[in-house]
Amino acid sequence: MEIKYNRVLLVKVLLFLVIVLVCGLSVFGCVGRGSIPKGWSGGVVADSILFLGSMEGKLVAVDISSHTRLWEVPLETSEQTSGFGCAPASTAVAIYGSPAITEELVYVGGYNGKIYAFSVGKDEPRWIYPREGNLQPIVGGAIVSQGKLYFGCSDGKVYALDAADGYTEWEFQTGSKIWATPVIDSETLYIGSFDKKLYAVDAATGEEKWGKPFETQGAIISTPVVYNNTIYIGSFDRYLYAIRITDGSLVWKSEVKADNWFWTKPVVFNNTIYAGNLDGKVYILDTETGEEIVDAIDLGRPISSSPVLVDDSVIVASEEGQVWIIDTTNNQKSELKNLEEKVYASLCASDGVVYIHTSKEELYALNAQSGAELWTLSLRS
Amino acid sequence: MEVFGQAWNLIILEPIINVLIVLSHYLFSNFGLAIIALTIVVNGAMYPLIRKQLSSSKAMQELQPKMAELQKKYAKDKEKLAKEQMKLYKESGVSPAGCLVPMLIQMPIWIALYQSIIRLLAVTPEDFLGLSQYLYSWSVVYSALPLGSNFLWLNLATSDPLLLLPLLVGGTMWVQQKMITPTTADPKQQTQSRLMLWMMPLMFAFITLSFPSGLALFWVTSSVIRIAIQYFVTGWGGLVKVATPKSPDRDKKYRKRIAQVEEKTSEYADTGADIVEPTSGQEEGLDYGQSGDNRQDRGRGDSARLKGIRREPGRSRSHRPKRR
Repeated sequence: MEIKYNRVLLVKVLLFLVIVLVCGLSVFGCVGRGSIPKGWSGGVVADSILFLGSMEGKLVAVDISSHTRLWEVPLETSEQTSGFGCAPASTAVAIYGSPAITEELVYVGGYNGKIYAFSVGKDEPRWIYPREGNLQPIVGGAIVSQGKLYFGCSDGKVYALDAADGYTEWEFQTGSKIWATPVIDSETLYIGSFDKKLYAVDAATGEEKWGKPFETQGAIISTPVVYNNTIYIGSFDRYLYAIRITDGSLVWKSEVKADNWFWTKPVVFNNTIYAGNLDGKVYILDTETGEEIVDAIDLGRPISSSPVLVDDSVIVASEEGQVWIIDTTNNQKSELKNLEEKVYASLCASDGVVYIHTSKEELYALNAQSGAELWTLSLRS
Repeated sequence: MEVFGQAWNLIILEPIINVLIVLSHYLFSNFGLAIIALTIVVNGAMYPLIRKQLSSSKAMQELQPKMAELQKKYAKDKEKLAKEQMKLYKESGVSPAGCLVPMLIQMPIWIALYQSIIRLLAVTPEDFLGLSQYLYSWSVVYSALPLGSNFLWLNLATSDPLLLLPLLVGGTMWVQQKMITPTTADPKQQTQSRLMLWMMPLMFAFITLSFPSGLALFWVTSSVIRIAIQYFVTGWGGLVKVATPKSPDRDKKYRKRIAQVEEKTSEYADTGADIVEPTSGQEEGLDYGQSGDNRQDRGRGDSARLKGIRREPGRSRSHRPKRR
């Protein structure tokens, strides 16, 4: 069959290619740009109630004894649009960090750059910070200590608010955006930043401690762990660090170098640190020396959800939804359950039960020892 | 499909992403400069393809008058028309696929560049987490991330608030398109040419309004480089009314072949007819060293020449010598 080549055909083909290219770019743009941040909030348990953020932008309270939804309240609807068919006119506010709770209020930060404080059961927030406008996206979780609420923001600042009314106590500026959750120990707040530094800040005044922040070669997203007057932190430079809490000096830098970023908060137990990595391995190091106790346990898929300690076992989930238990007595792994759903949210445990929020908006309650599925609850409306 | 995706990532996407990170590290931690540098490098690497595409495209344009004649001549016999067109392409050494194949080869590269920039800008946590799976184990890659997104007045991760970039994107694409748009007397082709001339620049300018500036920077740089290459390969083309293009040897080869074909065609026409001496205007039309509107003149020259072919009284087809 002979093909008829002429100019009309050529122009048509060119037009078709242009349209395909533009449509392709648009599709890749929408996908690649992740125009709709979805969130991956982990949970916090208090008085048999599990609080977490749903991917529909709601703060949800689940009664874990009756495994029913007690209450849910949507955060504001984002007005942001990305245009060119990448996003609907309005989207739910993505929630990445776990909520913080006090006896009176539940706090949650949104990707829309606002912090919300709710009384449980009430549809209207007690207060919203900032009152007007928005901060940059809030990705890390918030924590409450001694009447103050602390959180880091993508504008590079650490904010301390009065937990009761949401007014600013102090702000502390770092060199780049903050996606990490802070931790407080002995009146000092520790937080990592994209500027590759770990900061120690006076929790009462917001003044920087140490002479200068501790610097690594990579961004710091994971939440630090304080144990025996030492801070343990993983960095994007693929090393784990132990830092003296008193002056911010280096105790050790891990001999082993991972193959990817340390994204999640490590677990420390019995002088051993368990750190999941995006290379799919759990690194097990001696807290005193930084040497590997055993070879890293390979789970095969990236670990982007923070593991949790239940009794003397570390429960860790891979991104693909395989849930593993690591026995800390012999550092052997065994599979608890394969959820076959993506898991990015930090794991949460209470009374021997592990709660896992998957990317399909399912909340799983697993027995931490047997892996038996106790119940599931859909967080979808 | 999954295998294709993995191969795409491994062979194309990952190298580009990691090279961009390294470039950014060595270019003063400036991602904007890295985008410009890589766009220049990629265009340089694809220069032979781009040049082939442009030369073929130009040669195709130069064949258009002959094509128009054939279309007119065989308007009622599509099959014959197709055969004659193929014959003309073959004899002139021009392949219509000559412009499409290089373009098809380049498209995946452009799409990969586009995807790489999008992934490296990694605005949302999901994007950033996804980026981790494309990185080589080079230390420089890990220490360079996250890339700074400020360049000149732009935040490369967001659209340009001053709207200068959409204008630049649209403007440079229009110039580029105008340079390759042939001038033609055919109203139908004029409409198509106009459509091509305006559609792509407008579409890209429009999507630049909402896309990250990093991508727009890539598009502007690409267009500027392509304009430069086009200038050296084919001259200003349709951008100026009369211009003497810089003609590389390859173009000369095409022109020579086309001239040979035309001579052949003239010989065929001569077999049963006498040729009226061409006027000076017709001679101008046969000068293939000209471009732009002159091609139109050339078309008219050919047409006039054919009109000038007339059968001498008393000589019939039977006197036509056999073609060897």
